[in-house]
Amino acid sequence: MTLKIVRIHNELLGTYGDQGNAEVLAYRAGLAGIGTHVVDISYRDVIPHDGDIYLLGGAEDAAQILSCAALSSGALHGAVEKGAVVLAICAGFQILGKNFFANGVEQRGLGLLNMTTVPGDKRYVGDIKVHSDLLGIDLTGFENHGGKTILGSGLDNFGRVIVGNGNGDSGVDGAVLGNIFGTYLHGPVLARNPEFADLLLSRAHGAPVKVDDALADQYAQLRRKVVK
Amino acid sequence: MNLRLKAAIAVAKSAGSLSKSLGRGSGETLPGRILLALCPDAISLLSASRVIILVSGTNGKTSTTKELVSQIRTVGTVVTSGSGSNLTRGVAGALMQDSVFAVLEVDELHLPEVVAETNPAIVLLLNLSRDQLHRMHEVKRVAARWHEMCKAADPSTLFVADIDDPFVNFAITGAASAIRISFGGATGGRHPDGAVCPACGRYLDWINGKYACECGLSNAYADHLYDQGSAGYRNFVMASHVADIAGVHNALSNIALRSDYRAMERATEKVFAGVKARLRLTKNPASWDEALTGVTGDNVILILNAREVDGIDTSWIWDVSFESLRGKKVVVTGERGIDLAYRIHVAGIENILVATFDQAIGHFGIGSVEVLAAYTAFFELAGR
Repeated sequence: MTLKIVRIHNELLGTYGDQGNAEVLAYRAGLAGIGTHVVDISYRDVIPHDGDIYLLGGAEDAAQILSCAALSSGALHGAVEKGAVVLAICAGFQILGKNFFANGVEQRGLGLLNMTTVPGDKRYVGDIKVHSDLLGIDLTGFENHGGKTILGSGLDNFGRVIVGNGNGDSGVDGAVLGNIFGTYLHGPVLARNPEFADLLLSRAHGAPVKVDDALADQYAQLRRKVVK
Repeated sequence: MNLRLKAAIAVAKSAGSLSKSLGRGSGETLPGRILLALCPDAISLLSASRVIILVSGTNGKTSTTKELVSQIRTVGTVVTSGSGSNLTRGVAGALMQDSVFAVLEVDELHLPEVVAETNPAIVLLLNLSRDQLHRMHEVKRVAARWHEMCKAADPSTLFVADIDDPFVNFAITGAASAIRISFGGATGGRHPDGAVCPACGRYLDWINGKYACECGLSNAYADHLYDQGSAGYRNFVMASHVADIAGVHNALSNIALRSDYRAMERATEKVFAGVKARLRLTKNPASWDEALTGVTGDNVILILNAREVDGIDTSWIWDVSFESLRGKKVVVTGERGIDLAYRIHVAGIENILVATFDQAIGHFGIGSVEVLAAYTAFFELAGR
């Protein structure tokens, strides 16, 4: 089995280094003996509906609007219905909600997650640490956004905030619904939190994936120690 | 000169020399800081009687400013800001001395303020790309500020701009007078952060480094067109244009054939423990790409720090392709060396992670090594 990893609109959603999430997934899958195929989909391309993992990254406002418009054709909805894994970071995460703000104007989101994002009182910039109940560990990353995300019913948060802001002032970061994961953690998040990468691979693979990579673990532990 | 300003300069200068003699830093920013505290309008007062030339952009500010200073010195006295002291206090400090010209490097976010205060004759806008996002937030945000700055500037101020960069091109659409320079397209076929038109928000299609948005923003028509080349070459050409306008003789003659720009590439050679090291400054995706292109040897040391001026978030290293290092001997160090070691480990490039630069050098015995160093690491090593 080969996992198809679809990196969506990296030229638009690639401002904060999140494209590395695809590389980390492919690398760790390789160590686990699972083949991968990373497909880059640009704004002008048709989004495939047969991907196993879809990745969306952080972006500036104008790019976020363009990406959301291109995604509103419904390809991502179709993939989600089939159980595809989605990892969406920052602006990419906001897009999945019912609505968000960009360029100071309220925009309609994809509605995949029952949540809404409004402008925050300030820009949230800095190291962030959250505790994930799902993984049972602390995760670290870097946040850089001006949005405050309010989760509606039916959504779990991605993590409880220990350091930083996450969704704003609600004490939680991100959202989880089935195989959809949204978070404000850059880093990229999968580079700094290999356990999370393995969780996504397990979901896509349909069986537990656990990779041993000493340098990845050393890096993750160091970040967890220094972000406090 | 008014008495208040004179007194403030006297105090600032003596504080600067006192600080230097006490060994508290280079004394570069302290006088400027004191001057501004005593006389908040010092910058505008000191600018009034001379020709002000400002240089800004994400990459190449310092080397371009240096080049410009050396050219303009041939036609008049010049003051300039010390290497890297490009905030208002650095500007104020530089202006304390009399001169005909002032050639000043200015931080991107501080440029609008300095333009408003100095009423410059010429502003050289080099480029804008991702850098220190914890401080800049977005490239577009900086470009929008520059756009407003160009609109608000005095009509006599001339902006000299590299329009292959759409952010710079957008900025000068607000200017009363501008010289638009193109090198036949952006290096690498596209601006790495230029997927969206900064003027109107439409998707920007790139063909061989060229863009032409429906709204009219385009690099198809320039006042001056040159061949493509390295960042050092581009900045050299831009600096020579400014020098030409400032009255330097023959600044532009045979420019396409000259190689003086090589000196502008921010590299320096030093010997550490018997190993010849060629140091290059790398601080963001664009400068890493440029520096990696210049690596010719098989021995490489990479240094990553994440202090304030380096950018405190290291996520951007994942946007740099390190493929060209495959097969070379790579040693990684720096305060955030592990971030970089893991990034290239995932790219499949073998590397050795060590705690200090001296340990890194120790891996190369005698011979030579190319060192790609983060901003703070570069200056620390260059100053050793």
